[in-house]
Amino acid sequence: MADLYFEDVNEGDEGPSISHELTRTDLVMYAGASGDFNPMHTDEVKAKEAGLPSVFGHGMFSAGLLATAITNYVGIGTLKRYKVRFAKQTWPGETFITSVKVTGKRKEDGENLVDLECTLTNQDGEVKVAGEATAALPSRG
Amino acid sequence: MSTDLDQRLKEYEGKEAGGPEVGADPVNIPMIRHWCEAIGDQNPVYLDEAAAAASVHGGIIAPPVMLQAWVMRGIKSRPATGGSLTDELYRLLDAEGYTSVVATNCEQEYHRAVRPGDHLSTIATIESVSEEKTTALGVGRFVTNRIRYVDQHGEPVADTLFRILKFKPPAKPDATERPPRPRPAITQDNAFFFDGAKAGKLLIQKCASCGKLRHPPRPVCPHCRSLEWTAIEAAGRGTVYSFVVNHYPQVPAFDYPLPVGLIELEEGTRLVSDIVGIDPADVKIGLPVQVEFQRFDDELTLPVFRPV
Repeated sequence: MADLYFEDVNEGDEGPSISHELTRTDLVMYAGASGDFNPMHTDEVKAKEAGLPSVFGHGMFSAGLLATAITNYVGIGTLKRYKVRFAKQTWPGETFITSVKVTGKRKEDGENLVDLECTLTNQDGEVKVAGEATAALPSRG
Repeated sequence: MSTDLDQRLKEYEGKEAGGPEVGADPVNIPMIRHWCEAIGDQNPVYLDEAAAAASVHGGIIAPPVMLQAWVMRGIKSRPATGGSLTDELYRLLDAEGYTSVVATNCEQEYHRAVRPGDHLSTIATIESVSEEKTTALGVGRFVTNRIRYVDQHGEPVADTLFRILKFKPPAKPDATERPPRPRPAITQDNAFFFDGAKAGKLLIQKCASCGKLRHPPRPVCPHCRSLEWTAIEAAGRGTVYSFVVNHYPQVPAFDYPLPVGLIELEEGTRLVSDIVGIDPADVKIGLPVQVEFQRFDDELTLPVFRPV
């Protein structure tokens, strides 16, 4: 990925979007990778016994996917802050679409900071994760 | 309105959860690889030594959002007694029926990048336990934890907030509630029969050409091959021509043992129907019976036969 410089970024700019269909395999892989073995994410039988239609996605999986969209955009610049709200549960078979938008840029303590607004929605436009992030970008100067 | 439970939960607020939770392993490449593969994150700074060395970070870093994974307990469940104050709080909420959990907020502020070799621990403070709230998932309480991540030297690497909703799972459908009786497959040819049953009439198909009765309904007369037909209302009197008493397999919508008769109507045709109002052991060939209509639900009424 190309380096993104502070000077290249303007308020209202949008980063490239990621699209991803959530599968049960994702949930199993994420459970193993994160150590979050809540059976509601991986055990269809237990999830149904608990009254759920199926297993549902880890919030932090969606958050990780959305953060990937952010870091894909700001390059390997440093993520300083990441804040999300899990608006709705996610379900296998849904297709996620990320959106990352620049809401402001500022210099603070010698750092070049870019504020971003980010959302992850499903194929029907239902917001699953909404939040904001701040990244420090390199400067051409 | 404040309850005893509210009071008890308030006592947890502002308290440190207990000694630091120490990650099982130092930050390491294999775990970073698994996490990146699960998420689909291909940022070279996490796994490509050369690209990472050339970057602003000067070497491999762990994905910032992976933070939690470095201290997760894994498959080990919450201890039944003891453990941290958070364990105690969640046990109390579980005992009060708030057994389900979803994450609602995650906020992370990173003080520095986490690198292979760092050994992280967390120090958690229970910030708040909300009153009972009604949510889309059910009634529950929000628990907000502030979690500081420190390295092996005690230096902070990140400050985070993690809020979960502990909620009462929706009541399961009553297991004793009966599933509805299976629906008949309604076709153009047999709809009159079921509509008739709904109206309390036992309608039998009659060939419009040769006048013979036939059942079950079908489009062509087996005697003269005419496609023309009409229906008559049968008196509903008949005898048991043959029968079975069904014991197995059992379908939850029916009572067993289930006597099913082949009923010969006075009008001269036969139909298959439930026999009701009799001990299944007493059903005999030749038993005189009379139709009645049993309403199973809003959509389904069927003829059944009762001994006279």
